[in-house]
Amino acid sequence: MSTPPESGPTLDAASPLPPQIEAADEPAQVPLAIEDWATVIIMGLLACITFANVLVRYFTDSSFAWTEEFSVFLMILLAMIAGSAAVARDRHIRIEYFSESGSMARRKRLSQFGAVLVAALFFLIAGLSVRMVWDDYRFDETSPGIGVPAWWYSIWLPIVSTAIALRAVGLFIRRGRRDDRGAE
Amino acid sequence: MIATLLFVAFVVLMLVGVPIGAALGLAGAACIALANTDAQWFGLLAVPQNFYAGLGKYPLLAIPMFVLVGSIFDRSGVALRLVNFAVAIVGRGPGMLPMVAILVAMFLGGISGSGPANAAAVGAVMIAAMSRAGYPPAFSASVVGAAAATDILIPPSVAFIVYSVLVPGASVPALFAAGMIPGILAGLALIIPAVWMARKHKMGALEASMPRPEFWKSFREATWGLAAPVLILGGMRAGWFTPTEAAVVAVFYGLFVGMVIYRTIQVRDLFVILREAGELSAVILLVVSLAGIFAYSLSTLGVIDPVAKAITNSGLGEYGVLALLIVMLITVGMFLDGVSIFLIFVPLLWPIVQFYKWDPVWFGVILTLKVALGQFTPPLAVNLMVSCRIANVRMEETVRWVGWMLFAMFLVMVAVIAWPQLALWLPNKLGY
Repeated sequence: MSTPPESGPTLDAASPLPPQIEAADEPAQVPLAIEDWATVIIMGLLACITFANVLVRYFTDSSFAWTEEFSVFLMILLAMIAGSAAVARDRHIRIEYFSESGSMARRKRLSQFGAVLVAALFFLIAGLSVRMVWDDYRFDETSPGIGVPAWWYSIWLPIVSTAIALRAVGLFIRRGRRDDRGAE
Repeated sequence: MIATLLFVAFVVLMLVGVPIGAALGLAGAACIALANTDAQWFGLLAVPQNFYAGLGKYPLLAIPMFVLVGSIFDRSGVALRLVNFAVAIVGRGPGMLPMVAILVAMFLGGISGSGPANAAAVGAVMIAAMSRAGYPPAFSASVVGAAAATDILIPPSVAFIVYSVLVPGASVPALFAAGMIPGILAGLALIIPAVWMARKHKMGALEASMPRPEFWKSFREATWGLAAPVLILGGMRAGWFTPTEAAVVAVFYGLFVGMVIYRTIQVRDLFVILREAGELSAVILLVVSLAGIFAYSLSTLGVIDPVAKAITNSGLGEYGVLALLIVMLITVGMFLDGVSIFLIFVPLLWPIVQFYKWDPVWFGVILTLKVALGQFTPPLAVNLMVSCRIANVRMEETVRWVGWMLFAMFLVMVAVIAWPQLALWLPNKLGY
């Protein structure tokens, strides 16, 4: 069954792998490898934990309840950390129809405006969530599933939100530079 | 007043190209602050709470896992083997390759949960093959983009998972079952204009002279791919796994097929696969969580019910309102992606759904059909973006071809509206 792809039927000589459409990353001051490695590790963990849960339940008819809470926490962390890389790569869903037309100066202003707003939102979330963490800590809140202190989870919200906001600041600076070069 | 500000701010921010999640979050936060000027910190503590709560839902975990399934099967070489098998069945002749592209996209729809991933997998194999057979690249890109849109209807589907999180009365298994028949109908409906256009314009003249793969050999090689939907959908049906677990089982099955059987995935590819799937999921999940802030400010402002009342009392009647909604959503769908449409409009439309006592599962299928249409309606068509990039054509060139396919799928939507049992028969039969 392990036929190598090149000796396969003759329909198509093209490689079965999709073409690598990935564009090279713009260089960032702080390496994106930080977020990338964290993303890879979290995705791997999520898949393995859930798969282990299926196996354990299949063989022992019991499942570990703590995995659900921990998996949800990992997913939130994934959304924020990988989302931070996506901010730096400018991959977030947005309507490019109007902002990608018009003069270079207009495009530059609009993409910088977008970056400023992303930064503002996440600085806001970071600042406000400090209060949320403080409340969790002060009132000794515990998580509903495992019963660990709730601030173990919520502490990441201000930290990663700040990281996202800083990535947006970085994007703002790079967008400012890029179009200067393009105009020359 | 504040409600008007909420929408105006959101629409303006979105149009000037601010990321949709940020537009939702900022408009929501601004309205919370304006509505609570006398509360401590303007009531803004609700912002991080709703951000966190919007994400902290176990069913959402199925999204990163199904995205991961998509990017694994994308690289596993399953698509190529399915194509060979399909060609061995239908044979060679004018219009056969477009048909194969649609059939394979539908089949992959039973494995992956997102349209663009499907377009990438099918496009990588079919677009080159179709140009060699003499089909113009713009036509191939249109066929692949349209065919991949059936993916979000045919279970598993990321769109249904998001809908189910938003709507309490619609479970993921029920939605998955409900999407099956409309999804297959949509695929079959696409075949008619695709084959007809190929014949009419005498495209693919070289196809008849190409060799036909041997049936049993291609069947044997395609078995591993053919078994995947059986494992995913059958496993969920048999109650072995939840949707999230089914996705994870498919992840490991796909890795086994790709790394051990076909040897198309190397260990070092895992980094890229996990990173891309993680980033794509994060883009979806962040919109989900920031929409939580927007939805919270909508609900505290209490604007939804008056608007819903105004609509239901407008004298348009049930089908008039439904037609109006569809026209509005098709317009919006030209600019917005499917997940954002669900997140913004489902909370708004929910009182109307309840007023007319529409079945939430049926309504979910209608909305998803609409989103599927939007995935290949230029100018913002995520599937066409992927297939045009592979075919190396501009999206404007596909306008000539996608029209008839859009019309065919639109007729399927009208049919599901006219005969709700098309969607509801299977989930009832299966007892969801």
